[in-house]
Amino acid sequence: MKRNKALAVGVASLSIVAMLALASCGGSSGTATTDFPLPTEAPSDAQKGGTIEVLSGSDIDYMDPGASYYQFTFMIHYAMFRPLLSWPPGETKTPQPDLAAEQPTISDDGKTVTFKIREGVKFAPPVDRDVTSADVKYAIERGLMPGVANGYIGAYMDGLDGFDAAIESVESDPTVAPDISGIKTPDDQTIVFELTDTTSATLIQALSLPVSAPVPEEYAKQYDSESPSTYGDHVAATGPYMVENDAKGALTGYEPGKEIRLVRNPNWDSSSDARPAYADRITVKEGYADSASASRQILTGEGQVNGDFGPPPSVLREAATRYKEQLSLPTSGGSRYVSLNTQLAPLDDLNVRKAVLAATNREALRLTAGGEAAGAIANHFIPPDIPGFEEAGGFDGTGADFLEKPAGDLALAAEYMKKAGYKSGKYDGNDELLMVGDDSASSRQIGEIMLDTFQKLGFKVNYRPVSQEIMYTKFCGTPAAKVAICATTGWLKDFNDAESLLDPTFNGNNILPSNNVNWPQLDVESINDAMAKAALLTDQDERTKAWADIDRQITAQAPALPWIWDNSPVIWSENVAPVINLFNATADLSYTSLKK
Amino acid sequence: MLEYILRRVLWGVAMLFLVSGVIFVIFYLLPSADPATLRAGRQASPDQIERIRESLGLDRPVFIQYVDYMKQIFFHFDFGYSYQYETSVSSLIFDRLGPTASLTFGAAILWLLMGIPIGIISAVRARSLLDRSTMVISLALISAPVFWLGLISLYLFADDIGLIPILPGAGSYEPLSAGPIAWAGPLILPWTVLAAASAAVYARYLRSDMIDVMGEDYIRTARAKGLPERKVVMKHGVRSAITPVITLLGLDIGVLLAGNAILTESVFNIPGVGRLVLDAIDKADLPLIQGVTLFGAFFIVIFNLVVDIAYAYLDPRVRYDDL
Repeated sequence: MKRNKALAVGVASLSIVAMLALASCGGSSGTATTDFPLPTEAPSDAQKGGTIEVLSGSDIDYMDPGASYYQFTFMIHYAMFRPLLSWPPGETKTPQPDLAAEQPTISDDGKTVTFKIREGVKFAPPVDRDVTSADVKYAIERGLMPGVANGYIGAYMDGLDGFDAAIESVESDPTVAPDISGIKTPDDQTIVFELTDTTSATLIQALSLPVSAPVPEEYAKQYDSESPSTYGDHVAATGPYMVENDAKGALTGYEPGKEIRLVRNPNWDSSSDARPAYADRITVKEGYADSASASRQILTGEGQVNGDFGPPPSVLREAATRYKEQLSLPTSGGSRYVSLNTQLAPLDDLNVRKAVLAATNREALRLTAGGEAAGAIANHFIPPDIPGFEEAGGFDGTGADFLEKPAGDLALAAEYMKKAGYKSGKYDGNDELLMVGDDSASSRQIGEIMLDTFQKLGFKVNYRPVSQEIMYTKFCGTPAAKVAICATTGWLKDFNDAESLLDPTFNGNNILPSNNVNWPQLDVESINDAMAKAALLTDQDERTKAWADIDRQITAQAPALPWIWDNSPVIWSENVAPVINLFNATADLSYTSLKK
Repeated sequence: MLEYILRRVLWGVAMLFLVSGVIFVIFYLLPSADPATLRAGRQASPDQIERIRESLGLDRPVFIQYVDYMKQIFFHFDFGYSYQYETSVSSLIFDRLGPTASLTFGAAILWLLMGIPIGIISAVRARSLLDRSTMVISLALISAPVFWLGLISLYLFADDIGLIPILPGAGSYEPLSAGPIAWAGPLILPWTVLAAASAAVYARYLRSDMIDVMGEDYIRTARAKGLPERKVVMKHGVRSAITPVITLLGLDIGVLLAGNAILTESVFNIPGVGRLVLDAIDKADLPLIQGVTLFGAFFIVIFNLVVDIAYAYLDPRVRYDDL
């Protein structure tokens, strides 16, 4: 799960506060709110030139494409780098060839994936040479170095032949990128991925992320030998834009926490790329801590779009009425939920968990995020626009009675408590439940609502709001901390496949002693087995059906209370012709232009 | 005098050691996010996190980490490497000092220019209508949160979102190298906001001290000698009453340079030290937190020293040679 500007799952606090505070402004459905424009193509008369400004609250996570794992960074990186595959603005199903010349070929046994890469794609100055397949191999391998520390290749590429040996190699020498024997480069234009099992579907999706953007080894290894790697201060672009740099490649246009200045990459050949790259320059201006004034600045200003924040309720209301043509509400591909520890009494009792889910007012929870425009009320775990969503029940839900009434059903909750052995319909034990939540203003509201819900069911709760980082690293991500309720958890897709949403978060085999993201610690053998089988499916229809079925099984276990499938508001100035990238749910900087 | 300064400098160095040690202890003993885990991302395995911990040197005993850190500072002036920004801490701090210094010194001049005359006039005309109204206004300014005042000023006067768009708004900061007008224009609102509360505090302090001083025997003597009232007030009254204000000024400047203008910097998007440390705390970036804290402590020590020296000039009763 990459960091998301909307979900409370690891983002700088100011941007979270901003994004969680969406307004109630009418017109919502599951997918993008249709009352507002959702441009996924540039206008026919789009003009070239000018500067687009992106306003943001905080900085990107890493300039290094091998390390970046954040929605806002991807917004910038997809304009700078060319991974093997990427997502054109309107595409939500299948990643399309980018550095790759065509879609990959998959061997009959489903274990070998072969890409041909485009000829004539060059690195920006000072590297100034053609990209080869070896540059893609190095880009992925260096991700295993602790100085680069890619956050997702361990999850999605561990099926590559020789992956474990590569990890052993990097443990013995962390300053050198290890060889992954399952990545072969028979010639400069061919790269072959050999898998130990039929996990090609996940691998192909993961190759649409920035880690597969080529990195020139001869140039980068001097920086990669340091820890952390300093390649991020010297990145070599392959896309239409690059960060301003000097003759040695040091980025002069990146002032951390202040500004990122992108200019045209002189070595980019438009004939090799579908991206039109209308703007001459893109400037990311950071440090806008107050999202309200920054949003107003965008709506009333010129040439601006939002970066890592969304308009807070008051501004969104205004935007939805006065600036209706300057607002879009694409879905984020993520959901937020309250995790219940399935290993800890009394929540280890399925009926108790069902009671909690039945009792909670999810409409009230959604109001903390801003109401209807913030997104649809969730009732299972695959969000809209992800394959499997409709098959799992879509907006109607899976049929679980305890999630039927969004406003909560205390009578049903009491019934479930009785089934759990509490004759009065309320908890009468002595256990005090530890509930931890993020301490931002809107997240505290979530905590308060859950506190009230648990108290109505007779529980004693010790509620501890802490910073988001502490919540994940010290409490919710550490099973030994024995947290009963993680009130403000959420998960965002890495790509449009349900596996990236359900496997890390609800597979019992993924429960870790630290950095655990299966927060409910759900460990049901039949679900684990179903996930293992579904991960190996290569046929898209079968895959979709299998993961939808898993979603139903998970929901039936009530390990967490899903309460919203987030929208991700995009705003822009009047003289901007935006193009929204539905995959990343942000403005697509390679397609957005200034109006004439 | 020289011996005194030397002694104060040595105390300052000792305090910097103490501060650095306390920060280390706080970071490791109290609940805080784990930098290795944050860097590893959500899907990293414990082994991967351990490798990162090792590569960042966080697996070594805390004491060894601390000693190495201090050695690097004293022998190489190296404050380490930011986990978050992947660049040297000292370059990050020096990069942010310009905006913070611009904000701090400009605001300090402004609050002195406002606070001192108001304090004097209020003291000289104590309990008059003018005194009472300035004190009410100052109380209101002290009570108004900087964050709120900043936003109100932006919504009123910023040239992008303001009702009366006459001054540059948030995110328009320019360094002095861009020219004095380009530099000063975007700072007018932040200076005013930051200075407002301090000016009120200074006015109240000075008024209170002045009222006490103006009742002293030597003031009566000065008047009896026939000195003009202006001279009595300025030469004997203010000079004596202003020393606590100077102490406050030294501390305020030190504290603001240390990153305490965080709210003003955030509201007006000024890329200063305050915003840097806020991000560092968010990301558990220990080298950066440590670096900013040490720089901050250094400024506080320096400005305290400057204050002590200023005493000698302002108050002849202080005999540094006797200390």
